[in-house]
Amino acid sequence: MSNTSFAVPRHISRRGFLASSAAFGTAMALPPAAFAQQEGQLLLWLPGGSELFCKIHTGLLEGFSAGASLGPATTVCGLGQDTEFTQSLIGAITAGNPPDISMLWDSPVSLGAQGAFMPLDDMMKGSKIPLDTWPAGLLSSCQFKGVTYGLPITAGVYSMWYNQEMFEARGMASDRASFPKTWAEMRKMSKEFTVWEGDKLISAGFMPNRVPETMAIWSALNGGMMFDEANLKYQIDSEQNIEMMTFFLEWLDEEYKGDFNLVDRSGNFLDGYPNSTTGMGPAFREGRQAGMQSGSWLLGDIFADPVPSFERWNLAANPIGPSGSTSVSGTWPNWFVIPVGSKNPQAAFDYLSYLAIEGSVEWYQQIPDVPTNSQVQRKAPAGLVEKRGQEVADDITAFLGEQAAVVTPMWNSPVQSFYTDQIARAVEKIYTKASPVKDALSEAQAATQAELERVLAG
Amino acid sequence: MPITAPIAPQAAPLLPRRNRKAQRAEARAGLFFALPWIIGMTIFVALPLIVTFYIAQTKFQIVGAPKWVGLQNYEALLRDPAFWKSAQNTLIFAAISVPLKLIIALGLALLLNRATALLGFYRTVFYLPFLMPAVAGSVVFMLLLTPNAGPVNIALEAMGLNPPDWLLDPKAALWTLILLSLWPLGVETLVFLGGLQNIPKDVSEAADLDSPKRWHKLVWITLPLITPMVLFNLVIGIIYSFQVFTQAIVIGGTTGTPAESTLMYMVVLYRAAFRYFNMGLAAAMATVLFVVVLILTLLIFKTARSWVHYEGGET
Repeated sequence: MSNTSFAVPRHISRRGFLASSAAFGTAMALPPAAFAQQEGQLLLWLPGGSELFCKIHTGLLEGFSAGASLGPATTVCGLGQDTEFTQSLIGAITAGNPPDISMLWDSPVSLGAQGAFMPLDDMMKGSKIPLDTWPAGLLSSCQFKGVTYGLPITAGVYSMWYNQEMFEARGMASDRASFPKTWAEMRKMSKEFTVWEGDKLISAGFMPNRVPETMAIWSALNGGMMFDEANLKYQIDSEQNIEMMTFFLEWLDEEYKGDFNLVDRSGNFLDGYPNSTTGMGPAFREGRQAGMQSGSWLLGDIFADPVPSFERWNLAANPIGPSGSTSVSGTWPNWFVIPVGSKNPQAAFDYLSYLAIEGSVEWYQQIPDVPTNSQVQRKAPAGLVEKRGQEVADDITAFLGEQAAVVTPMWNSPVQSFYTDQIARAVEKIYTKASPVKDALSEAQAATQAELERVLAG
Repeated sequence: MPITAPIAPQAAPLLPRRNRKAQRAEARAGLFFALPWIIGMTIFVALPLIVTFYIAQTKFQIVGAPKWVGLQNYEALLRDPAFWKSAQNTLIFAAISVPLKLIIALGLALLLNRATALLGFYRTVFYLPFLMPAVAGSVVFMLLLTPNAGPVNIALEAMGLNPPDWLLDPKAALWTLILLSLWPLGVETLVFLGGLQNIPKDVSEAADLDSPKRWHKLVWITLPLITPMVLFNLVIGIIYSFQVFTQAIVIGGTTGTPAESTLMYMVVLYRAAFRYFNMGLAAAMATVLFVVVLILTLLIFKTARSWVHYEGGET
């Protein structure tokens, strides 16, 4: 080897080197610039959704920005759902470059309590959307220790869906008023529909609940609760919840051979959608399941493939448990937050006010996420009117509005995801008989309470 | 072979000043060329490692500043049932899948090593699964193993067998996950194949003359000569198996459904960090994993001196 000192090879000229460096620098700088927020121009992030969902929100934000004489707005769609989206958002917040507004599909309480989102209470005072225009149970999904960290602009409202034609075929009244009012009545009715052929479930009535997210609704229907936000105490192993899970387990044993695996091998009896893993069609839409609890988002999908094998279905209030006294509903809201670091917080809040009242009407007409602010004049979704007629569509819209007003507090814990995982674990243990009801719930209670205390500790 | 007198060792002559300068320039140039790698290593490996050790001793919820808590996260880990359950699952997974992978990959490599016109085709076929994204592969297997409608169970039932609920039965799910891990064997197979093709022909032919039994040749000649490849595949296999994540989270979600049977260490780490925002605990888990894998790797390297044979001696 020669002893000449190191030099830049001749085929890379200094000019070329500088040009390459500049191009590299620009390329590195471009992605953040494309997502950067600017004063006077609103930037909205959406976690996911269909092309139509993105189009609606892009149009609403652009319309608002033009009307409010703001600069051109940007809507960023499809940044990933669930955890991936949260990671992106947290990354942007900690980097000091968040969007002005973000939609969330997970409760804002957890991150809000840690200081990621702006408290909205001061801005709400004297605005078009003060605190008292929101159903308390719904707004609690955005509040912690009396501070509001987001707004549940629209929500999927949980209620009982039932196949009226299956009811009538068995000589049962199919109007909403005649729907079972208690779990015991529902369980008794369910047996009428349930048919087994060996280990295959041919048709079913209703199912004991096993969805972790909605366990708080069933708990409230039985006079209990999962999380006592006022006292910062979980109540997972309360008497009402033990009674609830014991009721469900006995129901499973009596009507479904004590084995959800057998049920799952026979079809998708869990919700109204095709199972993304097994490819099995929804038993409800196939006319093999008399009823189920579902969110109102199904209104927008029920007429899509697979098209229901029947025409007439209806919604009814959730029945109450043995220790319950009143029917309640639950929701899975579309939350909106203003991340800390937004350069246009007031304009962002003004947009949320617009979206809560005017924007959500247009939104609901195209995608049936129920507007939740009490001042909204809801109009039935166009697709529902087309398929079921104006009268039925108006009735369902009014019913969902009533249900949104009686929502039980849920999604209101700063350790919501931890709680959901613990409940999922407990429910699985109970239904697979891996653990007695009380033990499984106590274990979930101890773990969740410990996590809550860890998070709340200074 | 001509016999020559051994050359007496000579004292290293003093380097002329000009040569020393040249050596320094060469060293500088070497350092300069290696600089991008050194910078990358420092920024993307060493620094995160140090930060991880630090965060493991803090309460850090991502938003806001970390708060020093000493060894509290490690204490919390020891009390966490999910930590122990996931560690147990991961150990079982590693203990079974790594040896199985080695055996099957070696078997495939031995088959591929036989001269055939379709060698290139088979090599591509066995390597292809490695190129498929793990998520897509997992979803395909989930569809194949669907209890009622899945083609695997339909075929097994047609043969009069009583197939398991592969991914729904807690007793079967972990074994199914292990089975899945055996699918992308391309890299291991190619590494073994490279080793097999490097065995000198004269040694191979001498072995054939010594014993007509093929297994004699395999045990006494082939295996010892490819032990460096076994070592490589073993170490890489152990590192990967302790970090099994994608298949586990696609199949079992963040709770290791069914009944925590597919709950793996990395899933618990991931959910602590990005679902519960408990970065301190996640960093503590990462530290524990780092130490365990490091100890295992060092142990393997220590024992390797007695069972790994390098042609021409170890360098």
